[in-house]
Amino acid sequence: MDIKQTDVIIIGAGIAGTAIARELSQYEIDVILMEKEADVSFGSTKASTAIIHPGLPVADAPLKTKLILDGNRLFKQLANELDVTFKKTGELTIAKNENELQELKEMKRQADAIKIPEVEVINRKKLQSMEPNITKEAIAALSIPTAGIALPFEITIALAENASQNGVRILLNTEVTDISRGADNQSLLVKTACGYIKTRFVINAAGLFADQIAAMLNADDFSISPHKGEEYLLDKRVGSIVNQPILTVASPWVLVMPTVDGNIILGTTYTEVNNKADSATTLDGFRKIINDAKDLIPIISPKDIIRSFAGLRAMNTHTSDYIIEASKKEPKLINVVLGSPGITSAPAVAKMVVEILSDQGLKLAKKPNFNPQREKMLKFSELSDEERKALIAKDPRYGHVVCRCETVTEGEIVEAIRRGARTVDGVKYRTRAGMGRCQGGFCGPRVIEILARELNIPVTEITKKGKNSQSLLFKSKELLKKGGKDNNGSSKS
Amino acid sequence: MVLQKADLVVIGAGPAGVAAAIKAKEMGVNNVIIMERAEQLGGLLHQCIHNGFGLQYFKEDLTGPEYAYNFIEKAKGLGIKFLLETMALDISPKREITAVSNKEGIINLHPKAIILAMGCRERTRGAINIPGTRPAGIFTAGVAQRFVNVEGFIPGKKVVILGSGDVGMIMARRLTLEGVKVEAMVEILPYVGGLIRNEVQCIHDFNIPLFLEHTVVDVHGTERVKAVTIAKIDKDRNPIYKTKRKIECDTLLLSVGLIPENELSLKAGIKLDPVTGGPIVDETMQTNVSGIFAAGNVVHVHDLVDYVSFEGELAGSNAANYILSQALFPKMKINLKAGEGIRYIVPSTISGQKKATLYMRVLKPDRDVVVKVGDDFLRKHLPIVKPSEMLKIIIPLSKLKMLKDETKELTISCTKGRK
Repeated sequence: MDIKQTDVIIIGAGIAGTAIARELSQYEIDVILMEKEADVSFGSTKASTAIIHPGLPVADAPLKTKLILDGNRLFKQLANELDVTFKKTGELTIAKNENELQELKEMKRQADAIKIPEVEVINRKKLQSMEPNITKEAIAALSIPTAGIALPFEITIALAENASQNGVRILLNTEVTDISRGADNQSLLVKTACGYIKTRFVINAAGLFADQIAAMLNADDFSISPHKGEEYLLDKRVGSIVNQPILTVASPWVLVMPTVDGNIILGTTYTEVNNKADSATTLDGFRKIINDAKDLIPIISPKDIIRSFAGLRAMNTHTSDYIIEASKKEPKLINVVLGSPGITSAPAVAKMVVEILSDQGLKLAKKPNFNPQREKMLKFSELSDEERKALIAKDPRYGHVVCRCETVTEGEIVEAIRRGARTVDGVKYRTRAGMGRCQGGFCGPRVIEILARELNIPVTEITKKGKNSQSLLFKSKELLKKGGKDNNGSSKS
Repeated sequence: MVLQKADLVVIGAGPAGVAAAIKAKEMGVNNVIIMERAEQLGGLLHQCIHNGFGLQYFKEDLTGPEYAYNFIEKAKGLGIKFLLETMALDISPKREITAVSNKEGIINLHPKAIILAMGCRERTRGAINIPGTRPAGIFTAGVAQRFVNVEGFIPGKKVVILGSGDVGMIMARRLTLEGVKVEAMVEILPYVGGLIRNEVQCIHDFNIPLFLEHTVVDVHGTERVKAVTIAKIDKDRNPIYKTKRKIECDTLLLSVGLIPENELSLKAGIKLDPVTGGPIVDETMQTNVSGIFAAGNVVHVHDLVDYVSFEGELAGSNAANYILSQALFPKMKINLKAGEGIRYIVPSTISGQKKATLYMRVLKPDRDVVVKVGDDFLRKHLPIVKPSEMLKIIIPLSKLKMLKDETKELTISCTKGRK
């Protein structure tokens, strides 16, 4: 790599890093976004529920509270500019007894105080009409219409695409191994496997690894404690058994919610783990979530689960609030440590980081040709028959359905690769190929084949999610040529 | 594309669909079209390169491709039209089909009858909730079979197989022959899920370690599978943690069941049987939607392809009757009910006016049982039954004629006994 010098390096291409990159891309500065994984959103971000929270006060976290509220207000415009899905569904928090009802009323007072509009405590009858499948034990609910839902990877990919369109360089598979102070005392030297890059500022948006990045400059006054959240996804065939996120006053983590694609998510757990790579789902987590979900929506059945996953929330041990500030020990390092929630506040966080950079002396002049609009990926499944006809006439690959469950065509997969997908998961997050009920059973081999063809690399080099996650390890007969000592079979068949 | 002229459209060119189309064509239906989403005919048979096909239908031991070839050649000779790489997107209750292909674009068809023959798909990890990480290297057995037999790739060199369905057992042998070490086959039930002949020829003959009443309780590895942990289960199917053992491997194959693929059927308003997951059909293989028939694994998962072909022919001949002369259809008078020991019966209704062929599965393996139809209307002693092997019971017309006119239901049961 040839880059020797830049103005800003952002470490981490999750929701925070990509939102900051996109915000900075409107200014006349040189920005590099670095990500150790093979694609953007591959860390904690991808497993977010992506509820766009309304901004109810979070205890002992004034900054978080403010940025969530601001983020919620900014989200619609951002979604419009990036042409990503954002549904303002509202959300309901359920109370099952008088004590819980009192808590709802207190939440309403708090919401009114910060002017969240249309918040209402609704009675059993109204709740039943809004959510016919709700548990009979629910006596009331807090309705907040400004809440919504989005897709975590869609928004992150869109932010990265728009940032790149406006000049940000994105370096994937690029792990920062060290940061040191430059000899001029005016810069930082960021070391990767490709050598050093001199930069005026480093933005630490490394999520789970933010403490390790800060420690490279001895600016470490926090550490990250991963908190696992498990989630279980239901088949689309169960339909819209809930119309909006259903939460409970009894626990801040339990939820049943629709996704913008029409699935249902059951979540979540909140368990501290000591390993930043431990995103395993567990039998205990599964049982807890099924029980909790059935307590809200009794008709839920584990038979409808098509996928389970877990993400790690990057909670910091220093404060219950976000950390978004120039490091006191090294002001050229800006720490951006969000944890949960992350998606909602991201647009407001990005604006705050711009202010911090400006306060630290970075001159920010607007680019005259900044284009905030990003072109959406075409989705064959959402088109009318007339639109489909026209598209196939132009490019017959849109007439070849590869993912049968989600009706994703070869044309869309090729376009995803053109836009930067290099892995099976990268294709999945851009197109939904493999996200349906058969979970890539039919399309998985086809996607691998298309990736190999378009990237012109061997099939055995195609990975699920980068690094050493190859799907197919050997060619036919390869193991036999190596001596076949492992072959314990007879020739009988 | 312009509206194609079609009398019969068959969805799916696997063994059921091709057999159905041949039969209908032979009976005089003019325009028969088979619509197939894959690039070739024969369905999944082309990846089943092992033998054991055709013993019932051809009285000959064939490989999957050989079995398919016989039907495909016949279909081609009859002038049946094939639309390959064509995916049906929608079927309305009025039999209007919308499909898409890269050659023809959007295709609209409105045939006089439709035969659904979409087959089935494999149950995946999500559906059975295996805890653990989500690395590369977890495949369903059928996907692995395609990679090995069609595309020429071996998923890994140390494999654990969860489930003991037929494809899983076939793959245990196939991978062993490719130099792969199959470390274990793990089955939650106290008996093997697939056919006895596969258990003998693929598992025992190849010394594959078989862990019955065990399951996978953890998957390890972040990038690629590194190991799985298995454990014995108790009577409530909870893992007994002190029996845990970790098995190093780079691949986990799943052979944990097949599910009829009925998304299109639902769009057409077809009622499904919650037990089979397939359309509820009468003795003509007609669904609750007039003029839409179904056959093969889309109706219920079969053990042998030969029965799939027979069922396809049945649907084909009845669809032909429907198209050529609706008057030939008798009224379905008698419901068939799964009684003690029986999981399901196909068809669900019969007319009582012609010989009835019933396919069914038992709930559990057993020795010396009696299958009874009605109170004592027909009985058959069987020395051994297994859920993995379909039972076929034929009720001759002479017997059915002995039924009282008011008989509306026949219960079929399978209980211990010798007579």
